[in-house]
Amino acid sequence: MTATLAHSATKAIVEPAVRLTGVHKSFGRGARSVAALAGVDLAVAPGEFVCLLGASGCGKTTLLNLVAGLDTVTSGEVVRNTSRPAVMFQEAALMPWLTATRNVELALRLAGVRRADRRQRTEELLDLVRLTGVGDKRPHELSGGMRQRVALARALACTATGDDTAGLPSLMLMDEPFSALDAITRDVLQAELLRVWEATGTAVLFVTHDVREAVRLGQRVVLLSSRPGRVVREWRLGDRSSVAESATVDEINGRLREVITSHAA
Amino acid sequence: MPPEGSQQIDGAPVAVADYGAVGAGLDALERPTQPRTRADRLRTITRSVLPPLVAIVLVIAVWQALWAAAFWPEFQLPAPKAVGAELWRDITSGAVFGQLWVSVHRAVFGFLIGLVIATPLGLLLAKVRIVRAAIGPLLSGLQSLPSVAWVPAAILWFGITPGAIYFVVLLGSVPSIANGLVSGIDQIPPILPRVGKVLGAGRFAGARHIILPAALPGYVAGLKQGWAFSWRSLMAAELIANSPQLGQGLGQYLENGRSLSDMPTVMAAIVLILFVGIGIDLLVFRPLERRVLHSRGLTGSA
Repeated sequence: MTATLAHSATKAIVEPAVRLTGVHKSFGRGARSVAALAGVDLAVAPGEFVCLLGASGCGKTTLLNLVAGLDTVTSGEVVRNTSRPAVMFQEAALMPWLTATRNVELALRLAGVRRADRRQRTEELLDLVRLTGVGDKRPHELSGGMRQRVALARALACTATGDDTAGLPSLMLMDEPFSALDAITRDVLQAELLRVWEATGTAVLFVTHDVREAVRLGQRVVLLSSRPGRVVREWRLGDRSSVAESATVDEINGRLREVITSHAA
Repeated sequence: MPPEGSQQIDGAPVAVADYGAVGAGLDALERPTQPRTRADRLRTITRSVLPPLVAIVLVIAVWQALWAAAFWPEFQLPAPKAVGAELWRDITSGAVFGQLWVSVHRAVFGFLIGLVIATPLGLLLAKVRIVRAAIGPLLSGLQSLPSVAWVPAAILWFGITPGAIYFVVLLGSVPSIANGLVSGIDQIPPILPRVGKVLGAGRFAGARHIILPAALPGYVAGLKQGWAFSWRSLMAAELIANSPQLGQGLGQYLENGRSLSDMPTVMAAIVLILFVGIGIDLLVFRPLERRVLHSRGLTGSA
């Protein structure tokens, strides 16, 4: 519980890394338009790990795209007080013609890191995700879990670089990055992500539809309703005992089921 | 600020260090294995070299049998030996090298000009919607128009000059190369440009580091086809635009054979034209294509 207290103390002074205020997003125009998000308010503190949870169609991915700057809001405001956010997708989306090392280097290069520093940074990042020694392999020569770790290293490459953004908190946006992996690999990668998060102190906004994953990873779990998406409830996870966690999982599951059932009518 | 590592909680089944070990085990198990050995490579070579050799021997055997049966007069179907003798005479006299040089350097030069024109054209077609709507169908249509159809027009416009020949070659190669690049770009998984965008790539950096390399397999296929079309168009042009000032290429050699009713020369010319077409494909485009596909884990024809 001490962790939570310390956290709320910092939150009072420090500006949030990301703040969404009354964000609306609809696709299409006129009578045919579909509202994906209707009035979402959310703030992520620097270094905080927030999981966005919701059934399909709740606009989780839309929300992430808005924060990443891949899309623009219909109304409302997204304020980002961070360096360029790192984004991870459900697929690793590595460049298939580049080796693991070159994939990470490409991110550094596009971020404007000098050639001399690139090599060393890349090595550090691959070490961080425990991929020492496979840098010269191409994506098709790696397993799914390894590919996703290369993607994690690549994502981290753009958080922790860039001279103009020095001093700003970093942010990672993750769009169900482990959902295409088998259970054991997912379990290992979740642990890896927590380790990397603790090592780097970056803020994370993690989208998932898996309640257990959200509870395991997040300091805060935010449940979104579906069509249109808005924040239903959020849980702050302080007590890390397995009993408390499974109680929270049950509670969130119940609430999620209610949200989904309401669409059946 | 982070919670006390969720891995250290009582009752959690796996400790921190173990996750590393489990991960390493998974990596070892899941890495695709590469069973290619030297013996394998030897087998692939025998598999890819032997069948075409057998096929050639069979074709010559059938030819020899048909000739021996004397269904057709000699001036229509010469013996394989007569064609071989004609080829040998050309090679020993050195005439064949002059002809090969004239034709091959024209085709290569024409192909390179085609490359320079078609690449920006292809990029424009793929990326600018209105350009595509305007000339996309025309370019696809040009691909199915036999370029020999342009020879009369080229002769009237340029006279019997190298310009006429290059014009025909370009109309053969440019549509193939441009269309290859367009389909290469169309087939890029949409996630890759998005990754470029979140990594902060601008329009130019995105094209250079992501779009062009991602479109390479389609582009190389287009180049390969573009070469074939260049070579064909060149032969058509040389066959018709026949003049002493143009020098003697393989097309003129073939036309001379026809005008002298010298069937062994005609057959020898066809063999040489095939030889160049296949040779350049095997020496340049196959290895290029294989390298591009192999590096992306897309194993095409072995």
